[in-house]
Amino acid sequence: MKFGRRAFLQFAAGAVGGTLLSPMPWRLADDTAIWSQNWSWRPSPERGPITTVPTVCTLCQGGCGIQARLVNGNRAIFLEGNPVHPVNAGGICPLGAAALQYLYAPYRIEQPMKQTRARGEAAGFQPISWSEALDDLVKRLARLKSEGTPGGVACITGSRWNSMDDLWARFFSAYGSPGLFKMPSHSDSLRATAKLALGKDSPLAFALENASYVLSFGAALVEGWGAPARMQAAFMRWQKNGAGKGAAKLVQVESRCSMSAAKADQWVPVVPGTEALLALGIAHVMVKENLYDADFVSRGVLGFEDWTDMQGKVRSGFKKIALSAAYAPDQVAARTGVDAAKIQGLAREFASTANAVAVWGGGQHNVPGNIYHEMSFFALNVLRGNLKSGGLVSLVPDVPFQPADDQTAASAEGGAPQVKLGSVPGTRVPLPGNGIYGFLDILTRGMIPPLEVLFVHDANPAYSLPENKIFKAALDKVGYVVSMSPYMDETAMTADLILPNHAAFEGFEDVVGLPGVPYAYYAVSRPILKPRKDTKHSGDVVLQLSKALGGNVAAALPWASYEEYLKNRVNALAASKRGAVADKKDIDLSRLQSSVSVSPNFKDGTDLWKKLTGGFCWYDVPVDVRSALDTDSGKIELAFRAIQGKGLNVEDDQVYLPHFKPLPPSGDEKEYPLLLLSYGMLSLSCENLANPPFMTKTLWDFVLKKNDLFVEVNPSTAGPLGMSEGSKAVLKTPQGEVAVRVHLSQAARPGAIYMPQGLGHTAYDEYIQGKGVNSNSVVEVQVDPITGMGTVWATRAQLRRA
Amino acid sequence: MKEEKKSASGKGVGGIFFFGGFILALIFGWIVFPNLLFSEKAQPLNFSHVAHQDSTCDQCHSFNPDGTYSGIPRLDNCVECHESPMTSEESERILVEEYIQKQQEIPWKVYAWQPDNVFFSHAPHQAKNIECTQCHRDVSKEAKLPPYSENRLTGYSKSTMKMIDCEKCHAQMGANNNCQVCHK
Repeated sequence: MKFGRRAFLQFAAGAVGGTLLSPMPWRLADDTAIWSQNWSWRPSPERGPITTVPTVCTLCQGGCGIQARLVNGNRAIFLEGNPVHPVNAGGICPLGAAALQYLYAPYRIEQPMKQTRARGEAAGFQPISWSEALDDLVKRLARLKSEGTPGGVACITGSRWNSMDDLWARFFSAYGSPGLFKMPSHSDSLRATAKLALGKDSPLAFALENASYVLSFGAALVEGWGAPARMQAAFMRWQKNGAGKGAAKLVQVESRCSMSAAKADQWVPVVPGTEALLALGIAHVMVKENLYDADFVSRGVLGFEDWTDMQGKVRSGFKKIALSAAYAPDQVAARTGVDAAKIQGLAREFASTANAVAVWGGGQHNVPGNIYHEMSFFALNVLRGNLKSGGLVSLVPDVPFQPADDQTAASAEGGAPQVKLGSVPGTRVPLPGNGIYGFLDILTRGMIPPLEVLFVHDANPAYSLPENKIFKAALDKVGYVVSMSPYMDETAMTADLILPNHAAFEGFEDVVGLPGVPYAYYAVSRPILKPRKDTKHSGDVVLQLSKALGGNVAAALPWASYEEYLKNRVNALAASKRGAVADKKDIDLSRLQSSVSVSPNFKDGTDLWKKLTGGFCWYDVPVDVRSALDTDSGKIELAFRAIQGKGLNVEDDQVYLPHFKPLPPSGDEKEYPLLLLSYGMLSLSCENLANPPFMTKTLWDFVLKKNDLFVEVNPSTAGPLGMSEGSKAVLKTPQGEVAVRVHLSQAARPGAIYMPQGLGHTAYDEYIQGKGVNSNSVVEVQVDPITGMGTVWATRAQLRRA
Repeated sequence: MKEEKKSASGKGVGGIFFFGGFILALIFGWIVFPNLLFSEKAQPLNFSHVAHQDSTCDQCHSFNPDGTYSGIPRLDNCVECHESPMTSEESERILVEEYIQKQQEIPWKVYAWQPDNVFFSHAPHQAKNIECTQCHRDVSKEAKLPPYSENRLTGYSKSTMKMIDCEKCHAQMGANNNCQVCHK
């Protein structure tokens, strides 16, 4: 018996038969299939008990109550609105819903980094320890202070509705530098308007929930104007027919049929930039036809009738200006493109409907507007009598934080004498507002003493500052750039040192007041999980720097941690014995009245802190404008008396009053026959946070298709240029040139090009960068000559086939 | 001669080779292969269900208010009694020193661990009064945890229930067998 070839084959045949009758092949096939589902890079969700943590969202200034769902208490998996929160009542915006992507993003910075090569080289960043980084920074700051040039330190921050705002102000005041600047926002304009007309350094607020007629001049109400969730709630309320109450009417004045215009009851398309002219046309009709609140205006307003200036000279009042021929319906109709009869109709409707209010946006972007135009819109509310006690227009109330005997504030004032940027030659403006553009201008032209350290906190100016090349040019003149971004954004890329802040939801934050909202608001955002990276809250960085600097700086900021500082503020708030905590469902804050005070429902600071960190918010009644008024005349001032003696042409009476004065865009009209305007969307984050990929998924393919950005153009404009839907084009403005594609839309006004904001990042990661183009790189900023604030309304542009 | 040779090695004896191969393959496929496929892994420490008979099952294995099932208890449950050792057993020492004092969750190996693409809820099964032992082993008299057999290929436990078992029972009980019932 030999085991030959045949025997082998027979053996093999037997083995095959046996194998087929055993479970092995089937088992192997099945297990291989399962094995192929378990690649190591396949994400596997963590399992464990689910907990819910209530907190407050701090991604924007909207102050929404949210709750986070966590697995094992450390893996956040879901964010949703908190139903027991009066601002959003369970709602959440797309950014909030997608926000966990920030926590787990690949572009997060792991630890402090130092640039070891030339600025901007990604490979040059080397990790360093926190102590090393802070020691180096303290040495620089201590040297500048001891050399008597603390002005060599500046900061650009995006914080304005939280306590970091106050902490930075204390730090810079104590350190002795005037160099604290904020990213531009439309609330700068609302603040400047209130300062001029009411003498109060607080932004204007609008009780929109109680309005039954809203005349909106380009305010992107549905797209997130002011506090987005509050606006959505107000919008919902306008649609509802309450018992015995009709639905509110929304009239949107805007050149493009934006989301707000599309959802409005009436869209009034105007020539871009002539919204204020239309407002003045409406004022003309109201004054001419005696449709204004004459009683309120005659008793409480200075500058409506002719008035006497500081030198005793009689000047024309707003009445005369408004009645001038330039604002007659025919004239206004010719320039705005709105029929004269329609202007009269709007004026009569606005004047006669109960609870009518005028609101306005910041032109393009959430940026300040032209102060004369802001005042023109404001004047409509004055004519309507909306600034009476309990009226629809008031101020964002202050939150009472300051204890009577604040030693630390006194220490902060002990710094070197404050130099206001407005007093630096070349940047003098009569009524300085947010001075960031003035600062960048001086910096670029060479500042003395030179700027040695620039902090950038909670902001990404290299990307999100309109006309961002201004920031990039100024950076070349800065000795040492310190970024405090948690993410590798465009500004962090150009930094010398990165001191990464916690990402949202990893540290204690707060919300101080809500933009455009008349009731007082304060909320604490507690962390939902421990910091995932080796990061430090920027507040803790400021406190540590202060402690190391010693002297009056340390005395002005004596707190051990940012959390302790917030507790201290909450204690002061509790001690004021004002306001209450909204700890029940269905508390309607829009019904609060300045005349009816609320009684506190907290015992002391500890109790208030406990309630606030439980996800509830503190609120108080609105401001009574009449008693808050702080002008020299004791009246609401439509005339800018303070301008006098500030170097303007004081002969012209118009200079003192709201009037139509567009700031001309640069460039030759023949070369650039079109106007470029950018627009915001609720599903596109356009400030210091990159759009999360979840949100980018929701963009229409006529906004972004693969990496191509679409600009909206009217078919009548695109046709003669030889373009059709989807055509590739080159968009050129005096600021730059970008490749785009064309989306034909009747929503666009002929002669204008509309570009979405929030795309075209160059930093972050492969999921963010290279998608579309950044509108900030092609728009142009016009500096308002009165306030020095950078405004953006339109940029001359040409579009040609690529 | 050649033909004779052929027939000698091919006919009578050929069956033996075939049969030998057949039997060997069966032995390999039924006995050796299953032992090769699974590796035995030890649990981090022994848990005696018998020793815990003074407590009820749902003190450790309970439903959460939202309907989810707690499955294996977490360390908090253990700490309630075992903050310090109650006996001198080795497993007790490991529990206290390695996990409770270090506040680290015990990395139990779960015998019934289902893949991520399976959505399983205990709640509807309990509502149908299905006994735990219909799917899980009976632990009422168990003093020592059985060894955990891990499939070398898939990484899942040997006792992880397969889809066919789910489907069979669903069919018998008249429950829905649509894909999206379990695969969300």
